[in-house]
Amino acid sequence: MTLLGDDVRQQVVEFLKDLAGPVRLVVFTQEFECEYCAETRQLAEELGELSDQITVEVYDFQANKEKAEELGIDKIPAIAVIGKEDYGVRFYGIPSGYEFTSLLHAVRTVAAGEPELSEEGKKFLAEIDRPLHIQVFVTPTCPYCPHAVTLAHQMAIASPNVRADMVEAMEFPHLAVKYQVMGVPRTVINETVHLEGAAPEPMVLDKIREALQEAEG
Amino acid sequence: MEIKPLITGFEPQEKPAGEEGEKPAVYDVIILGAGPAGLTAAIYTGRARLKTLVIAGSLPGGEPSNTDLVENYPGFPEGIAGMDLAQRFQSQAERFGAEIVLDEATAVDFSQEPFTIHTYSTVYKGRTVIIATGAEPRRLGVPGEDKFFGRGVSACATCDGFFYKDKRVVVVGGGDSAIAEGLFLTKFASEVVVIHRRDQLRATQILQERAFANPKMRFVWDSVVEEILGDEMVTGVRVRNVKTGETSVIETDGVFVYIGMVPKTKLFVGQLKLDEQGYIVADRHQRTNVPGVFAAGDVQDPNYRQIVIAAGTGAVAAMEAERFLSEYWQTHHAEAKPS
Repeated sequence: MTLLGDDVRQQVVEFLKDLAGPVRLVVFTQEFECEYCAETRQLAEELGELSDQITVEVYDFQANKEKAEELGIDKIPAIAVIGKEDYGVRFYGIPSGYEFTSLLHAVRTVAAGEPELSEEGKKFLAEIDRPLHIQVFVTPTCPYCPHAVTLAHQMAIASPNVRADMVEAMEFPHLAVKYQVMGVPRTVINETVHLEGAAPEPMVLDKIREALQEAEG
Repeated sequence: MEIKPLITGFEPQEKPAGEEGEKPAVYDVIILGAGPAGLTAAIYTGRARLKTLVIAGSLPGGEPSNTDLVENYPGFPEGIAGMDLAQRFQSQAERFGAEIVLDEATAVDFSQEPFTIHTYSTVYKGRTVIIATGAEPRRLGVPGEDKFFGRGVSACATCDGFFYKDKRVVVVGGGDSAIAEGLFLTKFASEVVVIHRRDQLRATQILQERAFANPKMRFVWDSVVEEILGDEMVTGVRVRNVKTGETSVIETDGVFVYIGMVPKTKLFVGQLKLDEQGYIVADRHQRTNVPGVFAAGDVQDPNYRQIVIAAGTGAVAAMEAERFLSEYWQTHHAEAKPS
Protein backbone atom coordinates (compact mmCIF):
# COMPACT_ATOMS: atom_id res chain seq x y z
CA MET A 1 0.00 0.00 0.00
CA THR A 2 1.29 3.43 -0.86
CA LEU A 3 1.33 6.24 1.66
CA LEU A 4 0.86 9.03 -0.83
CA GLY A 5 -2.44 9.07 -2.66
CA ASP A 6 -2.64 9.98 -6.34
CA ASP A 7 -3.91 13.48 -5.71
CA VAL A 8 -1.18 14.19 -3.19
CA ARG A 9 1.41 12.81 -5.61
CA GLN A 10 0.21 15.23 -8.24
CA GLN A 11 0.47 18.14 -5.85
CA VAL A 12 3.94 17.09 -4.78
CA VAL A 13 5.16 16.78 -8.35
CA GLU A 14 3.88 20.27 -9.01
CA PHE A 15 5.44 21.62 -5.81
CA LEU A 16 8.84 20.08 -6.53
CA LYS A 17 9.00 20.58 -10.27
CA ASP A 18 11.47 23.45 -10.16
CA LEU A 19 13.90 22.07 -7.59
CA ALA A 20 17.03 24.16 -7.82
CA GLY A 21 19.44 21.28 -7.32
CA PRO A 22 19.87 17.69 -6.22
CA VAL A 23 18.68 16.60 -2.79
CA ARG A 24 19.57 13.43 -0.90
CA LEU A 25 17.19 11.97 1.61
CA VAL A 26 19.39 9.90 3.88
CA VAL A 27 17.16 7.58 5.89
CA PHE A 28 18.21 5.67 8.97
CA THR A 29 16.23 2.65 10.06
CA GLN A 30 17.20 -0.80 11.27
CA GLU A 31 16.79 -4.42 10.27
CA PHE A 32 13.84 -5.02 12.56
CA GLU A 33 12.18 -1.77 11.73
CA CYS A 34 10.81 0.28 14.63
CA GLU A 35 7.19 1.30 14.82
CA TYR A 36 7.38 4.09 12.26
CA CYS A 37 10.74 3.24 10.69
CA ALA A 38 9.23 1.27 7.84
CA GLU A 39 6.74 4.00 7.05
CA THR A 40 9.37 6.71 7.24
CA ARG A 41 11.57 4.82 4.80
CA GLN A 42 8.62 4.17 2.53
CA LEU A 43 7.59 7.81 2.65
CA ALA A 44 11.09 8.93 1.67
CA GLU A 45 11.17 6.38 -1.13
CA GLU A 46 7.79 7.45 -2.46
CA LEU A 47 8.88 11.07 -2.35
CA GLY A 48 12.06 10.13 -4.20
CA GLU A 49 9.96 8.74 -7.05
CA LEU A 50 8.36 12.11 -7.59
CA SER A 51 11.39 14.14 -8.57
CA ASP A 52 14.48 13.35 -10.64
CA GLN A 53 16.45 15.60 -8.34
CA ILE A 54 15.78 13.51 -5.22
CA THR A 55 17.79 10.42 -4.36
CA VAL A 56 17.06 8.25 -1.36
CA GLU A 57 19.70 6.39 0.60
CA VAL A 58 18.73 3.95 3.32
CA TYR A 59 21.12 2.97 6.09
CA ASP A 60 20.86 0.58 8.97
CA PHE A 61 21.37 2.55 12.15
CA GLN A 62 23.17 -0.34 13.85
CA ALA A 63 25.22 -1.68 10.95
CA ASN A 64 26.20 1.75 9.61
CA LYS A 65 27.16 3.36 12.90
CA GLU A 66 29.92 5.37 11.29
CA LYS A 67 27.57 6.89 8.76
CA ALA A 68 25.13 7.75 11.52
CA GLU A 69 27.85 9.40 13.55
CA GLU A 70 29.13 11.30 10.56
CA LEU A 71 25.67 12.83 10.13
CA GLY A 72 25.03 13.21 13.86
CA ILE A 73 22.07 10.83 13.80
CA ASP A 74 21.33 9.61 17.32
CA LYS A 75 17.87 8.06 17.03
CA ILE A 76 15.60 6.48 14.46
CA PRO A 77 13.64 6.81 12.32
CA ALA A 78 15.66 9.70 10.95
CA ILE A 79 15.87 11.55 7.66
CA ALA A 80 18.76 13.86 6.88
CA VAL A 81 17.91 16.23 4.04
CA ILE A 82 21.14 17.06 2.27
CA GLY A 83 21.78 19.31 -0.70
CA LYS A 84 25.03 20.59 -2.20
CA GLU A 85 26.21 20.41 1.36
CA ASP A 86 24.84 19.10 4.64
CA TYR A 87 23.09 22.05 6.23
CA GLY A 88 22.07 20.12 9.34
CA VAL A 89 18.41 19.63 8.42
CA ARG A 90 16.99 16.57 10.20
CA PHE A 91 13.67 14.84 10.80
CA TYR A 92 13.36 12.43 13.71
CA GLY A 93 10.16 10.44 13.58
CA ILE A 94 7.87 10.22 10.60
CA PRO A 95 7.04 13.53 8.95
CA SER A 96 3.40 12.62 8.45
CA GLY A 97 0.21 14.58 8.94
CA TYR A 98 0.99 18.28 8.92
CA GLU A 99 4.71 17.55 9.03
CA PHE A 100 4.75 16.32 5.48
CA THR A 101 4.56 20.01 4.66
CA SER A 102 7.77 20.59 6.59
CA LEU A 103 9.53 17.83 4.69
CA LEU A 104 8.56 19.31 1.34
CA HIS A 105 9.71 22.75 2.39
CA ALA A 106 12.98 21.31 3.64
CA VAL A 107 13.57 19.56 0.32
CA ARG A 108 12.88 22.67 -1.66
CA THR A 109 14.95 25.03 0.45
CA VAL A 110 17.86 22.63 0.77
CA ALA A 111 17.82 22.19 -3.01
CA ALA A 112 18.16 25.93 -3.41
CA GLY A 113 20.65 26.27 -0.55
CA GLU A 114 19.15 29.68 0.05
CA PRO A 115 17.06 30.24 3.17
CA GLU A 116 13.88 32.30 2.98
CA LEU A 117 14.60 34.60 5.89
CA SER A 118 14.96 38.32 6.41
CA GLU A 119 18.29 39.87 5.37
CA GLU A 120 18.95 40.77 8.98
CA GLY A 121 18.24 37.23 10.11
CA LYS A 122 20.49 35.68 7.47
CA LYS A 123 23.34 38.01 8.41
CA PHE A 124 23.00 37.30 12.12
CA LEU A 125 22.84 33.53 11.61
CA ALA A 126 25.78 33.45 9.21
CA GLU A 127 27.94 35.08 11.88
CA ILE A 128 27.23 32.51 14.58
CA ASP A 129 30.62 31.03 15.36
CA ARG A 130 29.76 28.13 17.65
CA PRO A 131 27.50 25.11 17.37
CA LEU A 132 23.82 25.77 17.90
CA HIS A 133 21.23 23.01 18.08
CA ILE A 134 17.54 23.69 17.53
CA GLN A 135 15.02 20.95 18.27
CA VAL A 136 11.39 21.50 17.40
CA PHE A 137 8.98 19.09 19.08
CA VAL A 138 5.82 18.41 17.14
CA THR A 139 2.84 16.12 16.81
CA PRO A 140 1.56 15.21 13.34
CA THR A 141 -1.84 16.67 14.19
CA CYS A 142 -0.56 20.13 15.06
CA PRO A 143 -1.37 22.72 12.40
CA TYR A 144 0.97 25.33 13.91
CA CYS A 145 3.98 23.06 13.98
CA PRO A 146 5.24 23.12 10.37
CA HIS A 147 5.69 26.86 10.72
CA ALA A 148 8.12 26.37 13.61
CA VAL A 149 9.89 23.44 11.97
CA THR A 150 10.35 25.17 8.63
CA LEU A 151 11.69 28.29 10.30
CA ALA A 152 14.22 26.26 12.28
CA HIS A 153 15.32 24.41 9.15
CA GLN A 154 15.73 27.69 7.27
CA MET A 155 17.99 28.85 10.09
CA ALA A 156 20.09 25.71 9.78
CA ILE A 157 20.52 26.40 6.08
CA ALA A 158 21.53 29.97 6.85
CA SER A 159 24.45 28.96 9.06
CA PRO A 160 27.07 26.22 8.97
CA ASN A 161 27.01 26.13 12.77
CA VAL A 162 23.28 25.71 13.20
CA ARG A 163 21.55 22.36 12.95
CA ALA A 164 17.80 21.92 13.31
CA ASP A 165 15.71 18.84 14.06
CA MET A 166 12.06 18.12 13.83
CA VAL A 167 11.32 15.71 16.67
CA GLU A 168 8.00 13.88 16.61
CA ALA A 169 7.12 13.86 20.29
CA MET A 170 4.85 10.81 20.17
CA GLU A 171 7.66 8.61 18.85
CA PHE A 172 10.26 9.83 21.32
CA PRO A 173 8.30 10.07 24.56
CA HIS A 174 11.48 9.98 26.65
CA LEU A 175 12.63 13.18 24.94
CA ALA A 176 9.22 14.72 25.45
CA VAL A 177 9.64 14.00 29.14
CA LYS A 178 13.25 15.14 29.22
CA TYR A 179 12.42 18.48 27.64
CA GLN A 180 9.10 18.80 29.49
CA VAL A 181 7.08 18.92 26.33
CA MET A 182 3.43 19.32 27.28
CA GLY A 183 2.45 21.30 24.22
CA VAL A 184 3.61 21.71 20.67
CA PRO A 185 5.34 23.22 18.87
CA ARG A 186 8.02 23.55 21.50
CA THR A 187 11.41 24.70 20.31
CA VAL A 188 14.44 23.86 22.42
CA ILE A 189 17.65 25.71 21.64
CA ASN A 190 20.93 24.30 22.94
CA GLU A 191 19.17 22.24 25.60
CA THR A 192 18.47 25.27 27.78
CA VAL A 193 16.39 27.90 26.04
CA HIS A 194 12.86 27.07 24.98
CA LEU A 195 10.06 28.70 23.11
CA GLU A 196 6.39 27.75 22.93
CA GLY A 197 4.26 28.11 19.84
CA ALA A 198 4.89 29.04 16.24
CA ALA A 199 6.83 32.22 16.80
CA PRO A 200 7.82 34.65 14.06
CA GLU A 201 11.43 34.88 12.94
CA PRO A 202 12.49 37.89 15.08
CA MET A 203 11.27 36.16 18.24
CA VAL A 204 13.20 32.98 17.46
CA LEU A 205 16.30 35.05 16.71
CA ASP A 206 15.98 36.69 20.13
CA LYS A 207 15.85 33.26 21.74
CA ILE A 208 18.95 32.22 19.81
CA ARG A 209 20.75 35.32 21.11
CA GLU A 210 19.68 34.31 24.59
CA ALA A 211 21.06 30.80 24.10
CA LEU A 212 24.35 32.14 22.77
CA GLN A 213 24.68 34.48 25.74
CA GLU A 214 24.04 31.63 28.15
CA ALA A 215 26.77 29.67 26.46
CA GLU A 216 29.13 32.58 27.02
CA GLY A 217 28.11 33.39 30.59
CA MET B 1 -0.58 4.88 19.53
CA GLU B 2 -3.65 6.68 18.29
CA ILE B 3 -4.28 9.35 15.71
CA LYS B 4 -1.55 9.24 13.21
CA PRO B 5 -3.07 10.61 10.05
CA LEU B 6 -0.93 9.82 7.12
CA ILE B 7 -0.01 12.31 4.58
CA THR B 8 -2.97 14.17 3.25
CA GLY B 9 -1.44 17.30 1.82
CA PHE B 10 0.76 20.30 2.33
CA GLU B 11 0.86 24.03 1.90
CA PRO B 12 3.00 25.22 -0.96
CA GLN B 13 4.94 28.32 -0.18
CA GLU B 14 4.95 29.98 -3.53
CA LYS B 15 3.28 29.57 -6.81
CA PRO B 16 3.70 31.62 -9.91
CA ALA B 17 0.91 34.13 -10.36
CA GLY B 18 -0.59 33.71 -13.76
CA GLU B 19 0.82 31.72 -16.59
CA GLU B 20 3.88 33.86 -17.13
CA GLY B 21 5.08 33.08 -13.60
CA GLU B 22 5.91 36.70 -12.87
CA LYS B 23 4.92 38.21 -9.57
CA PRO B 24 2.67 41.14 -10.31
CA ALA B 25 3.67 44.52 -8.93
CA VAL B 26 0.10 45.04 -7.84
CA TYR B 27 -2.34 42.22 -7.10
CA ASP B 28 -5.98 42.60 -7.89
CA VAL B 29 -6.87 41.04 -4.56
CA ILE B 30 -4.79 40.41 -1.48
CA ILE B 31 -6.45 38.12 1.03
CA LEU B 32 -5.18 38.10 4.59
CA GLY B 33 -5.77 34.73 6.18
CA ALA B 34 -6.15 31.22 4.78
CA GLY B 35 -9.09 29.87 6.72
CA PRO B 36 -12.52 29.07 5.25
CA ALA B 37 -13.34 32.73 4.59
CA GLY B 38 -10.02 33.64 2.96
CA LEU B 39 -9.76 30.49 0.87
CA THR B 40 -13.36 30.65 -0.28
CA ALA B 41 -12.76 34.24 -1.32
CA ALA B 42 -9.67 33.02 -3.20
CA ILE B 43 -11.69 30.36 -5.03
CA TYR B 44 -14.09 33.04 -6.22
CA THR B 45 -11.48 35.66 -7.15
CA GLY B 46 -9.37 33.00 -8.85
CA ARG B 47 -12.32 31.93 -10.96
CA ALA B 48 -12.94 35.58 -11.76
CA ARG B 49 -9.37 35.56 -13.14
CA LEU B 50 -8.26 38.19 -10.66
CA LYS B 51 -4.61 38.04 -9.66
CA THR B 52 -4.97 36.80 -6.14
CA LEU B 53 -2.48 36.56 -3.31
CA VAL B 54 -3.31 34.84 -0.05
CA ILE B 55 -1.06 35.68 2.89
CA ALA B 56 -1.70 32.66 5.04
CA GLY B 57 -0.60 33.92 8.45
CA SER B 58 0.32 31.78 11.40
CA LEU B 59 -2.38 29.13 11.00
CA PRO B 60 -2.84 28.06 7.38
CA GLY B 61 -6.21 26.38 7.14
CA GLY B 62 -7.63 28.51 9.91
CA GLU B 63 -9.81 27.21 12.71
CA PRO B 64 -10.85 23.96 10.97
CA SER B 65 -7.26 22.75 11.00
CA ASN B 66 -7.50 23.13 14.76
CA THR B 67 -10.60 20.98 14.94
CA ASP B 68 -10.61 17.23 15.24
CA LEU B 69 -13.82 16.48 13.38
CA VAL B 70 -16.19 18.83 11.56
CA GLU B 71 -19.71 17.45 11.46
CA ASN B 72 -21.78 20.44 10.45
CA TYR B 73 -20.26 21.45 7.13
CA PRO B 74 -22.69 20.41 4.40
CA GLY B 75 -21.62 17.84 1.89
CA PHE B 76 -19.82 15.56 4.33
CA PRO B 77 -22.52 13.39 5.84
CA GLU B 78 -20.02 11.35 7.85
CA GLY B 79 -18.16 14.44 9.02
CA ILE B 80 -14.69 15.36 7.88
CA ALA B 81 -11.42 15.86 9.73
CA GLY B 82 -10.89 19.59 10.17
CA MET B 83 -7.41 19.29 8.73
CA ASP B 84 -8.71 17.49 5.68
CA LEU B 85 -11.39 20.10 5.08
CA ALA B 86 -8.86 22.91 5.38
CA GLN B 87 -6.64 21.25 2.80
CA ARG B 88 -9.54 20.77 0.44
CA PHE B 89 -10.34 24.48 0.65
CA GLN B 90 -6.72 25.20 -0.15
CA SER B 91 -6.41 22.80 -3.07
CA GLN B 92 -9.54 24.28 -4.56
CA ALA B 93 -8.21 27.83 -4.22
CA GLU B 94 -4.90 26.84 -5.79
CA ARG B 95 -6.62 25.07 -8.63
CA PHE B 96 -8.02 28.41 -9.71
CA GLY B 97 -4.68 30.15 -9.56
CA ALA B 98 -4.49 31.74 -6.14
CA GLU B 99 -0.94 32.26 -4.94
CA ILE B 100 -0.60 31.32 -1.28
CA VAL B 101 2.38 32.45 0.77
CA LEU B 102 3.27 31.26 4.24
CA ASP B 103 3.96 34.70 5.51
CA GLU B 104 2.33 37.01 8.00
CA ALA B 105 1.26 40.62 7.66
CA THR B 106 3.08 42.90 10.06
CA ALA B 107 1.63 46.26 9.01
CA VAL B 108 -0.96 47.55 6.56
CA ASP B 109 -1.57 50.89 4.94
CA PHE B 110 -5.09 51.48 3.67
CA SER B 111 -4.69 55.26 3.43
CA GLN B 112 -3.87 55.22 -0.25
CA GLU B 113 -4.39 52.99 -3.27
CA PRO B 114 -3.05 50.58 -4.11
CA PHE B 115 -3.12 49.29 -0.55
CA THR B 116 0.16 48.20 1.01
CA ILE B 117 0.72 45.08 3.10
CA HIS B 118 4.03 44.63 4.87
CA THR B 119 4.96 41.08 5.85
CA TYR B 120 7.91 39.51 7.63
CA SER B 121 9.72 39.00 4.37
CA THR B 122 8.49 41.60 1.89
CA VAL B 123 5.91 44.20 0.85
CA TYR B 124 2.86 43.55 -1.31
CA LYS B 125 0.48 45.91 -3.04
CA GLY B 126 -3.14 45.21 -3.83
CA ARG B 127 -6.00 47.10 -5.45
CA THR B 128 -8.39 45.41 -3.07
CA VAL B 129 -7.89 43.64 0.24
CA ILE B 130 -10.07 41.01 1.86
CA ILE B 131 -9.37 40.63 5.54
CA ALA B 132 -10.03 37.12 6.81
CA THR B 133 -7.54 36.94 9.65
CA GLY B 134 -10.06 35.23 11.89
CA ALA B 135 -10.02 35.12 15.62
CA GLU B 136 -7.76 33.57 18.19
CA PRO B 137 -8.61 31.86 21.43
CA ARG B 138 -9.41 34.16 24.30
CA ARG B 139 -7.08 33.73 27.23
CA LEU B 140 -8.30 33.39 30.78
CA GLY B 141 -6.15 36.24 32.01
CA VAL B 142 -5.51 34.65 35.39
CA PRO B 143 -2.31 34.10 37.35
CA GLY B 144 -0.34 31.09 36.14
CA GLU B 145 -1.72 31.14 32.62
CA ASP B 146 1.24 32.84 30.93
CA LYS B 147 3.75 30.83 32.93
CA PHE B 148 2.23 27.53 31.91
CA PHE B 149 1.08 28.34 28.40
CA GLY B 150 2.40 25.55 26.19
CA ARG B 151 3.47 23.68 29.31
CA GLY B 152 0.21 22.54 30.77
CA VAL B 153 -2.12 25.23 29.49
CA SER B 154 -3.26 24.78 25.90
CA ALA B 155 -5.82 26.00 23.44
CA CYS B 156 -5.23 23.19 20.94
CA ALA B 157 -6.47 19.75 21.93
CA THR B 158 -5.53 18.18 18.59
CA CYS B 159 -1.95 19.43 19.02
CA ASP B 160 -1.43 18.57 22.63
CA GLY B 161 -3.94 15.90 23.60
CA PHE B 162 -1.31 13.20 23.26
CA PHE B 163 0.69 14.59 26.17
CA TYR B 164 -2.20 13.93 28.53
CA LYS B 165 -2.46 10.20 28.04
CA ASP B 166 -3.83 8.74 31.27
CA LYS B 167 -3.67 12.15 32.92
CA ARG B 168 -6.36 14.43 34.23
CA VAL B 169 -7.33 17.54 32.35
CA VAL B 170 -9.81 20.34 32.81
CA VAL B 171 -11.57 22.10 29.97
CA VAL B 172 -12.71 25.63 30.64
CA GLY B 173 -15.83 26.72 28.76
CA GLY B 174 -19.25 25.42 27.80
CA GLY B 175 -19.60 26.11 24.09
CA ASP B 176 -19.17 23.87 21.07
CA SER B 177 -15.39 24.07 21.06
CA ALA B 178 -15.08 23.29 24.75
CA ILE B 179 -17.33 20.25 24.53
CA ALA B 180 -16.13 18.92 21.18
CA GLU B 181 -12.49 19.22 22.17
CA GLY B 182 -13.27 17.90 25.65
CA LEU B 183 -14.78 14.81 24.03
CA PHE B 184 -11.67 14.49 21.87
CA LEU B 185 -9.50 14.65 24.98
CA THR B 186 -11.33 11.69 26.50
CA LYS B 187 -9.43 9.56 23.97
CA PHE B 188 -6.28 10.27 25.94
CA ALA B 189 -7.03 11.62 29.37
CA SER B 190 -8.25 9.55 32.29
CA GLU B 191 -10.67 12.28 33.26
CA VAL B 192 -11.96 15.45 31.62
CA VAL B 193 -13.49 18.01 33.95
CA VAL B 194 -15.51 20.74 32.26
CA ILE B 195 -15.54 23.96 34.22
CA HIS B 196 -18.30 26.29 33.09
CA ARG B 197 -19.44 29.60 34.49
CA ARG B 198 -23.13 28.86 33.95
CA ASP B 199 -25.37 26.06 35.13
CA GLN B 200 -25.88 24.64 31.66
CA LEU B 201 -23.86 24.19 28.52
CA ARG B 202 -24.13 26.45 25.52
CA ALA B 203 -22.90 23.72 23.17
CA THR B 204 -25.11 22.15 20.48
CA GLN B 205 -27.53 19.59 21.86
CA ILE B 206 -25.90 16.63 20.13
CA LEU B 207 -22.54 17.46 21.68
CA GLN B 208 -24.15 17.85 25.09
CA GLU B 209 -25.75 14.43 24.79
CA ARG B 210 -22.41 12.85 23.98
CA ALA B 211 -20.66 14.69 26.77
CA PHE B 212 -23.21 13.68 29.40
CA ALA B 213 -23.03 10.09 28.22
CA ASN B 214 -19.25 9.96 28.37
CA PRO B 215 -18.07 8.29 31.58
CA LYS B 216 -14.79 10.19 31.54
CA MET B 217 -16.46 13.60 31.59
CA ARG B 218 -17.45 15.45 34.71
CA PHE B 219 -18.91 18.94 35.09
CA VAL B 220 -18.27 21.73 37.51
CA TRP B 221 -21.04 24.30 37.11
CA ASP B 222 -21.30 27.99 37.93
CA SER B 223 -17.57 28.22 38.31
CA VAL B 224 -14.71 30.27 36.98
CA VAL B 225 -10.99 29.57 37.06
CA GLU B 226 -9.16 32.10 39.19
CA GLU B 227 -5.65 30.72 39.16
CA ILE B 228 -3.59 27.97 37.58
CA LEU B 229 -1.51 26.28 40.22
CA GLY B 230 1.79 24.50 40.03
CA ASP B 231 5.48 24.81 40.49
CA GLU B 232 7.24 23.24 37.52
CA MET B 233 4.13 21.61 36.13
CA VAL B 234 0.45 22.34 36.43
CA THR B 235 -0.98 20.64 39.50
CA GLY B 236 -4.41 22.17 39.69
CA VAL B 237 -6.75 25.09 39.20
CA ARG B 238 -8.39 27.27 41.79
CA VAL B 239 -12.03 27.82 40.93
CA ARG B 240 -14.65 30.09 42.39
CA ASN B 241 -18.32 29.30 42.41
CA VAL B 242 -19.97 32.43 41.06
CA LYS B 243 -23.22 31.76 42.97
CA THR B 244 -21.85 30.91 46.41
CA GLY B 245 -18.51 32.70 46.21
CA GLU B 246 -16.75 29.59 47.53
CA THR B 247 -13.36 28.70 46.15
CA SER B 248 -11.91 25.26 45.79
CA VAL B 249 -8.98 23.54 44.14
CA ILE B 250 -9.39 20.95 41.39
CA GLU B 251 -6.30 18.84 40.90
CA THR B 252 -5.31 18.44 37.28
CA ASP B 253 -2.35 17.96 34.95
CA GLY B 254 -3.54 20.16 32.13
CA VAL B 255 -5.86 23.03 31.33
CA PHE B 256 -7.53 23.46 27.96
CA VAL B 257 -9.11 26.85 27.49
CA TYR B 258 -12.11 27.31 25.21
CA ILE B 259 -13.81 30.46 26.42
CA GLY B 260 -14.43 32.09 23.10
CA MET B 261 -12.36 33.99 20.64
CA VAL B 262 -11.00 37.47 20.11
CA PRO B 263 -10.73 38.87 16.60
CA LYS B 264 -7.27 39.31 15.14
CA THR B 265 -7.53 42.98 14.29
CA LYS B 266 -4.56 44.63 16.00
CA LEU B 267 -3.07 45.55 12.62
CA PHE B 268 -6.16 47.48 11.63
CA VAL B 269 -6.62 49.71 14.66
CA GLY B 270 -6.80 53.30 13.45
CA GLN B 271 -7.32 52.27 9.83
CA LEU B 272 -10.62 50.44 9.87
CA LYS B 273 -13.75 50.89 11.92
CA LEU B 274 -13.85 48.27 14.67
CA ASP B 275 -16.61 47.63 17.17
CA GLU B 276 -16.08 47.84 20.91
CA GLN B 277 -15.03 44.18 21.03
CA GLY B 278 -12.48 44.73 18.29
CA TYR B 279 -14.37 43.07 15.43
CA ILE B 280 -14.17 44.73 12.04
CA VAL B 281 -17.41 46.49 11.21
CA ALA B 282 -18.60 45.25 7.82
CA ASP B 283 -21.91 45.80 6.09
CA ARG B 284 -23.99 43.06 4.49
CA HIS B 285 -21.82 43.32 1.39
CA GLN B 286 -18.78 42.67 3.61
CA ARG B 287 -17.53 46.20 2.94
CA THR B 288 -15.52 47.96 5.61
CA ASN B 289 -15.46 51.73 5.98
CA VAL B 290 -12.55 51.89 3.49
CA PRO B 291 -13.74 51.38 -0.11
CA GLY B 292 -11.85 48.44 -1.60
CA VAL B 293 -11.19 46.79 1.76
CA PHE B 294 -13.52 43.95 2.66
CA ALA B 295 -13.75 41.67 5.68
CA ALA B 296 -15.04 38.11 5.95
CA GLY B 297 -15.23 35.30 8.44
CA ASP B 298 -14.67 35.36 12.18
CA VAL B 299 -12.76 38.63 12.12
CA GLN B 300 -16.06 40.43 11.57
CA ASP B 301 -18.44 37.92 13.14
CA PRO B 302 -18.91 38.08 16.91
CA ASN B 303 -21.96 35.84 16.80
CA TYR B 304 -21.74 32.64 14.81
CA ARG B 305 -18.18 31.51 14.10
CA GLN B 306 -19.21 28.72 11.77
CA ILE B 307 -17.17 27.39 8.88
CA VAL B 308 -20.14 27.52 6.54
CA ILE B 309 -20.81 31.14 7.44
CA ALA B 310 -17.17 32.14 7.15
CA ALA B 311 -17.08 30.54 3.71
CA GLY B 312 -20.28 32.36 2.77
CA THR B 313 -19.00 35.76 3.79
CA GLY B 314 -15.75 35.00 1.96
CA ALA B 315 -17.72 34.45 -1.22
CA VAL B 316 -19.62 37.70 -0.71
CA ALA B 317 -16.40 39.63 -0.11
CA ALA B 318 -14.87 38.17 -3.26
CA MET B 319 -17.86 39.05 -5.41
CA GLU B 320 -17.89 42.56 -4.01
CA ALA B 321 -14.16 42.91 -4.61
CA GLU B 322 -14.72 41.86 -8.21
CA ARG B 323 -17.49 44.42 -8.58
CA PHE B 324 -15.29 47.10 -7.00
CA LEU B 325 -12.48 46.30 -9.43
CA SER B 326 -14.70 46.41 -12.49
CA GLU B 327 -15.92 49.85 -11.46
CA TYR B 328 -12.34 50.81 -10.78
CA TRP B 329 -11.26 49.77 -14.26
CA GLN B 330 -14.19 51.64 -15.78
CA THR B 331 -13.23 54.89 -14.10
CA HIS B 332 -9.48 54.50 -14.55
CA HIS B 333 -7.49 54.27 -17.74
CA ALA B 334 -8.86 51.35 -19.64
CA GLU B 335 -5.53 50.77 -21.36
CA ALA B 336 -3.92 50.04 -18.00
CA LYS B 337 -6.08 47.00 -17.51
CA PRO B 338 -4.18 43.76 -17.84
CA SER B 339 -5.55 41.41 -20.44
